[in-house]
Amino acid sequence: MKVQDVLVMLNQLEDNGIIARYAIGGAVGATFYLEPVSTLDVDVFIAFKSERGSALVSPLPIFDYLKQLGCKMEGEYIVIGGWPVQFLPADPPLLAEALAQAVESDVEGTPARVFTAEHLAAIALQTGRAKDKARLLQFIETGALDSERFQAIIARHELVDVWKKFERQLLSDDENAPS
Amino acid sequence: MSFDLPKMIESKRAYRHKLATLPIAEKLCILDALRGRELAIRGSQPSSVVREEPDPPRPSSP
Repeated sequence: MKVQDVLVMLNQLEDNGIIARYAIGGAVGATFYLEPVSTLDVDVFIAFKSERGSALVSPLPIFDYLKQLGCKMEGEYIVIGGWPVQFLPADPPLLAEALAQAVESDVEGTPARVFTAEHLAAIALQTGRAKDKARLLQFIETGALDSERFQAIIARHELVDVWKKFERQLLSDDENAPS
Repeated sequence: MSFDLPKMIESKRAYRHKLATLPIAEKLCILDALRGRELAIRGSQPSSVVREEPDPPRPSSP
């Protein structure tokens, strides 16, 4: 069970033109900037390619390709290297921007494209579940955020009010908060 | 070992910082181990996929 196998497969999908561009988000993406936190799956954001002659976009080419390589479908996941992987469309504007601006990292010679820390934090702010707020706090406490970039992202995506509420609730005494 | 709370908090913070600054390959190996442990704690599953509980429905904003 190795998450690095997922990275190898994602690069293969991209190199063979099955997907146009991918970026890792969620807890695995956050691990590139923070301490590792237990997670059960890998969230991969992609721009879905539309099939020829169809206005609809479909993940089927991805599943067909991976099934040929022995990967198994389990519900909405496909299992790669023992890890359930979910392919998610980067359609909403914040996700589309995060995908476009994702950065490449090197994992022992394997390239891995990951959302920036600032986009991961903004997505956590927008999603707003308890675990997302906890992740956002981790980003702040670790000092992993470029304050200017983060503020620009939340302004572009109309998250300033949500951020102010988050600040009031959880950061009123925190000297690390990006102002 | 100390029961000095500020020291303990500082020690935790330092440990988290140390983990955060590990090479990414090492951090990914830790993720593999954490997932294996979590699956073991949850007991044998009929599938390797463990789904998270969905969020409760939220009231729609006015």
